[in-house]
Amino acid sequence: MKKYLMAAAAVALMAGFSHGASAGEVTKGKALNMVLLPKFLGILPFDQAHQGALEAEKELGNTKPLQFLGPTPENSVAGQIEIVTNAATQGVNAIMISNNSGDQIVPSAKAAHDKGIKVVTWDSPIPSAEGEDVFVAQVDFNQTGQVMADMAMKILPNGGKFAILSASPDAANQNAWIKAFEAVIKDPKYAKLQQVDLVYGNDQSELSYNQALALVDKHPDLQLIMAPTSVGIVAAAKAMQDEKLCDKVKVSGLGVPAEMLSYTMNGCAPNFALWSFVDLGYLAYYTAYALATDAVKAEDGAKFTAGRLGEYTITKDPTREKGLRILMGPFSIYDKTNVEAASK
Amino acid sequence: MNWLQRRVRPEQIRELSLLLLIVVAVIIFGSLIDGYYTSRTFNRIASSVAIITVVAAGQTLVVLTRNIDLSVGSIVGCTAYFTGSLIAANNGLPPILAALVAIALGTLMGSINGVLVAWGRVPSIIVTLGSLAIYRGILIEYSGAKTVTTDSLPAWLVDLPQNALFTIGGLEFRTMVVLAIVVVIIFQLATSLLSFFRRFYAIGSNPEAASLIGLPAQRMIFTSFVLSGALSGLAGFLFLARFGNITVEAGRGLELQVVAAVVVGGVNIFGGSGTIFGAMLGGVMIGTLEQSLFRLGISEFWRDAILGLLILLAVASDAVILNRLRALWARSDLKLIDKTAALPGAASGTSSR
Amino acid sequence: MTALSRLKSWEGLLLALLLVILFFNVTDSPFFLGVGNIVNLFQLSIEKIIVALIMTLIIISGEIDLSVASVMGLAACVMAWLFQMGTPFPLALLAAVASGAVAGLFNGFWIAYVGLPSLAVTLAGLIGYRGIARILVEDRAIGGYPEWFNTLGQQPTFGPLTLSIVIFFVLLILVVVVLHRSALGRLIYVIGNSPNAARYSGVRVKRVKMALFVASGIISAIAGVLYAARLGSVRGDMAQGFELDIITIVLLGGVSIFGGSGNLVGVGLSILVILNLRNGMGLANITGNTQTSVIGALLIVSVLLPNMAQLIRNKWRGSET
Repeated sequence: MKKYLMAAAAVALMAGFSHGASAGEVTKGKALNMVLLPKFLGILPFDQAHQGALEAEKELGNTKPLQFLGPTPENSVAGQIEIVTNAATQGVNAIMISNNSGDQIVPSAKAAHDKGIKVVTWDSPIPSAEGEDVFVAQVDFNQTGQVMADMAMKILPNGGKFAILSASPDAANQNAWIKAFEAVIKDPKYAKLQQVDLVYGNDQSELSYNQALALVDKHPDLQLIMAPTSVGIVAAAKAMQDEKLCDKVKVSGLGVPAEMLSYTMNGCAPNFALWSFVDLGYLAYYTAYALATDAVKAEDGAKFTAGRLGEYTITKDPTREKGLRILMGPFSIYDKTNVEAASK
Repeated sequence: MNWLQRRVRPEQIRELSLLLLIVVAVIIFGSLIDGYYTSRTFNRIASSVAIITVVAAGQTLVVLTRNIDLSVGSIVGCTAYFTGSLIAANNGLPPILAALVAIALGTLMGSINGVLVAWGRVPSIIVTLGSLAIYRGILIEYSGAKTVTTDSLPAWLVDLPQNALFTIGGLEFRTMVVLAIVVVIIFQLATSLLSFFRRFYAIGSNPEAASLIGLPAQRMIFTSFVLSGALSGLAGFLFLARFGNITVEAGRGLELQVVAAVVVGGVNIFGGSGTIFGAMLGGVMIGTLEQSLFRLGISEFWRDAILGLLILLAVASDAVILNRLRALWARSDLKLIDKTAALPGAASGTSSR
Repeated sequence: MTALSRLKSWEGLLLALLLVILFFNVTDSPFFLGVGNIVNLFQLSIEKIIVALIMTLIIISGEIDLSVASVMGLAACVMAWLFQMGTPFPLALLAAVASGAVAGLFNGFWIAYVGLPSLAVTLAGLIGYRGIARILVEDRAIGGYPEWFNTLGQQPTFGPLTLSIVIFFVLLILVVVVLHRSALGRLIYVIGNSPNAARYSGVRVKRVKMALFVASGIISAIAGVLYAARLGSVRGDMAQGFELDIITIVLLGGVSIFGGSGNLVGVGLSILVILNLRNGMGLANITGNTQTSVIGALLIVSVLLPNMAQLIRNKWRGSET
């Protein structure tokens, strides 16, 4: 414990100097204990984020190895809380959370934050922002709605019926995106797009696949399935392909290029969008490091430079009342022309 | 009727009551849903039940011996993933060989369970609760978070789910469905005709008697786990074909669906009674309920509550029907005894003792 | 080897295991022995171990309750839903516990009075009760409970101990007395040992089973409410999948899945083993899936080793004579 306190004191002292020298410049080579916490392990996007964080670690010369700790999928909420609590016990310097637990993580995040640990969320924030320093947003959540609406419009230029296939009803970011999407299509520009259903595939291939087929059966004139989840979108595309329905019902949403390649090329899923998870992990690490070394304070308007990604500003989060965020962006929209290159 | 009653026991036709319930359910849903009686409805239910049925066939054998295999979901996930990465690396692998690899891998995992249960004498629920976690852990560890993707798989595999082997009156019988039916027929026939397979019943219904007459209980229990693993391996192969994209989460929670199918299918969880055919009907029952509830347009949030209630009703009415049948049989047995007792020889025979 | 000495050797094994784990934890992490960490160690799994107590009685009676986690979720969602509808909060709490009692009554009716297998009934309950919870809260996350509720769930109330930890120990004493010091407890063993023989004593068996399932419903509901207090927010997926962890604890405690044997000393030790193991691995930065695998392996090996030792001893003796 003493060792950590001394380290923290030393860091604070040195950060004090560097702060005066040039605001937002990150001092390299500090020994900081940092934890990267995904929703769960074994899924490609989170692994990419881990790669990005490791890249940042190397650049920043942090001598303490990054801990990439995750719960099992069936125990995600309780597991995340356990990991945050243990990290607080160990007195690490910063935790980076892709929050799968909604506000249920607040008590443990707050306890960690009260101990002086920097809590950065990425990919999915703490809705109430309590116990959180800043959220590294992959994209603007309202913009996600816009992008989804535009992709739908591109597939159905003359309008038509569509249904949404989401992850679980408890996925905060999916819910936020769907809400934004539903708000955007209220605009007269999208008047011809008609939403007929919203179902959940719980981010499991089997259920998502069956749900996609059930949608087609229930709505005979369905023309588009919009799936803002990387598991749901591939399952839906495979289901349409297996039932030879790709001419009638298209699939779109958020997906990983490598997984979507064949469906985009054969026209089952003409377009989809995503952001770079590598960059997201990289930026989350830089942010947490900068906060933990006091190179930047978690407050509106603070600026810092995140290596190869350039300068970022912490701002108020327009999608959450009390939250602060750093907006990464941009969206990459994939179709036949660029999916092959991106999936390499 | 008497003739029938003498030849068939109620337990042997208990599947009839379940079949009856399925027919009733289909008629009810058919009257509520427009265009329900189509080949499409058949296809949906048949394809969604195919994988579960294959696993349930193996599970039935295990349950017959008074054991349970909770690791099937993890075995399906592991075989789907490892076979998938193998095929992705060698696209030229012949289909039969690929399927055999999956079955072999499943067999291996099942044998580990089997050895621990049969000779290690560790209760099966403990072994398979453990291997459920361990097999999944191995998968997560060795996958390196990579996904098996559809574009890396050969066309024959990706197209397998949509191929119809034959069509009867507009009903398509797809390869996977036919395969599942073949598995059920083979194991149903084996368990009702072959004396080797009849031993599963003997061991489960009365272990003490079975060991007295010298049945190799340990070997039979081991065999049931091996077969459960092998069939889970085959199911893993089907899983790979059906979903194309395989992550480390593949098959998670499948064990619950399979146990539900087996239990609804009337297989006695304390061993000794039940059939593979019944387990299939259990799966079909649940599949029909799930698919039809969705078609009814019932809110996403209401479906599980109704499904739980319907499963309970299915189990309860199955029990009631079976009890009725038993009572019917018992009554006619009594009549039979009355008749024989009326014969003078028989009467004196019993009284002289 | 008599049954008694086998039991003793089982608990001895668990105790040895516990000592080994404690030794590793103390030497491995300087944070392990902190009061805060010890409290956290219990607090992080407190709801599971509360339910494990009643699950022990149910499994000893030869039945199983797979619906416990769904009842936990149901109770939390009933509370959240009523609170959101503007019901006075104490009333919402009462209704939550009542919903658990009703769920238990429902399970108990089908199992004790209709005679359906508990595995089938509670499997339907696992799906159905979760479904009702979903109907109530849909895709919402409901929070904003009175401050005292969150404080009770998160802050120490008795010295360093939280309310849920105190409830656990009170319940532990209660369950020990019932199982090991009362006529009811003996009846539970009898029922578990020979369900058919026990059935002849008639109504009492049905009542005992009914009582056990109602108790399971109520205790699960209380655990669900405590979980809600600890997290401060309720969602439809509360406690999903907890049933497997709970059953794992009971089985590692030496309770036979076929009923009739096992005791609370074993389950108590099993709780300590699993909690300390998880905590130690967590502090050693071991990821979730490795933790689950290790506990899975432990579960198998802890039964396998004594069996193997027994087998080898028998063989050795056999070759001697």
